[in-house]
Amino acid sequence: MNMYRHELQSLRKATVIWTVAMIALAGLYFGIYSTVVKDAAGFTQILNSYPASVRAALGVSIANITSMMGYYAIIYTLIALCAAIQAMIYGTSILSKESRERTADFLLVKPVSRSAIVSAKLLASLSMLVLTDVVYFLAALVLAELVKGAAFSVEGFLLLNLTILFLQLIFLAIGLAISVFFARLKNVLPISLGVVLGFYILGALIATGDNGSARYLSPFRYFDAQYIIAHSSYELSYLWISTAIVAVGVGLSYIVYGRKDVHSVS
Amino acid sequence: MNIFVRELKANRRALMIWCICLFSLVASGMMKYTAYTAGGQSSQLLNGLPHSLKALLGFGRFNPTTMPGYFAMLFLYVEITVAIHAALIGCDMIAKEERDKTAEFLMTKPIGRSVVLSSKLAAAFVNIVIVNLITLASSVVLVRHYNKGSDISREILLFMLSMLLVQLIFMTLGAALAAGLSNSKSAGSMAIGIVLVGYVISRITDLTNRLNFLNVLSPFKYYSYTDIVNGRGLNMLIVLLSSLLIAGLVGWAYLSYQKRDVQI
Repeated sequence: MNMYRHELQSLRKATVIWTVAMIALAGLYFGIYSTVVKDAAGFTQILNSYPASVRAALGVSIANITSMMGYYAIIYTLIALCAAIQAMIYGTSILSKESRERTADFLLVKPVSRSAIVSAKLLASLSMLVLTDVVYFLAALVLAELVKGAAFSVEGFLLLNLTILFLQLIFLAIGLAISVFFARLKNVLPISLGVVLGFYILGALIATGDNGSARYLSPFRYFDAQYIIAHSSYELSYLWISTAIVAVGVGLSYIVYGRKDVHSVS
Repeated sequence: MNIFVRELKANRRALMIWCICLFSLVASGMMKYTAYTAGGQSSQLLNGLPHSLKALLGFGRFNPTTMPGYFAMLFLYVEITVAIHAALIGCDMIAKEERDKTAEFLMTKPIGRSVVLSSKLAAAFVNIVIVNLITLASSVVLVRHYNKGSDISREILLFMLSMLLVQLIFMTLGAALAAGLSNSKSAGSMAIGIVLVGYVISRITDLTNRLNFLNVLSPFKYYSYTDIVNGRGLNMLIVLLSSLLIAGLVGWAYLSYQKRDVQI
């Protein structure tokens, strides 16, 4: 319990900054919603003069943009990216910082098992991520209500925002699993940003083409916003693979950290 | 000179990984190019989109059905990647001595602090130039392989020149932050924060013209890539202003590193 409280405290400042940044980003995007709707209205008229086949190729996503949910489905990818980076940094740093800051032997001589250490740290990061998402969700809901043209489904909005938490869980687990394999991780930023942005760019490239099995390659493509809006549910196979990634990542962290040779201060 | 060589060696492996990443980024982007050129009529339609919708769909203000437009779109991803690299290396060069508790060892050597900083900045500069050249080479070769229209090597060269300036801005910013902030541990997060904020701003100001004043805060928006695509080249005034910004940041780094209370 002490460890949990201590970690919460050490994550407090970062969590506040991340939450504020995500809300500010959503605020900026919602601020220009009306402009986009106006632009789109004119374009839909042009679109109607095109043959149906062309409209089908492009029109579906365009028509959706003007609705609040359609608009949010597009802007929320950037917010999800921020959230994923936050989770990945928490994951890579929470265990590795003890070695980096030379506090590992102080912690490890305490009468607690290593799995208790991992549990406390994992739980603390998890609490902070959930807190971030809850605060963000409430703020985004208020912002959306302020700028909406027509009513939108709060349930769909919640389902969409819940995927941010899923993404965070995936990247928290990946980060944790990566960090325990390093004897001493000097700097968590390059590896965290590299992995998350790598998957993000991969996801953006996949998005332009087919929607087949290539989607398994990037967690950013696991939760398709259009599908969630249309069906009010998630695609089950991607939910399973997310669960599997989280389970493997966390399991691996417990096993490897439990047997890891942690160097004392030289 | 010793410090310069040592820093180059210390960064060798990371540099190699970054270069491989950039090559695969350009390569995987280029492989997707055919998907855009396939449709005839729908590509016309794509080009007719209002710019806010185009930006929302991730095309920026470019026409992704032509090679220069598509490359400009891909370039935004390349640029954020190299910007992160530059900010991290600039920051890390200075912050790592205190983090790894080697500052005492370095500071007791019979060399001035400005010599230390100069060697470190020179090493960081060599690193970002290598990243830039590798990106240039992979872009030219891969674009030539997929391009069916006219040759755009000159445009690519201009893209990379502007990218070098952006890299330099972020590198010197990272160095200045690491030298100037009393707690150099937070400098890395702050530098990355500035890079990400700059990226987000560049995405948002694509959407609407009302927020263009924000572009001052985003080096990703200093150069007009539509100008490069349309063959108008780089704006010399902006090049001059960025050089001044870089010089200012370097000056700030030197001044604050001289007076820095190095924590040991």
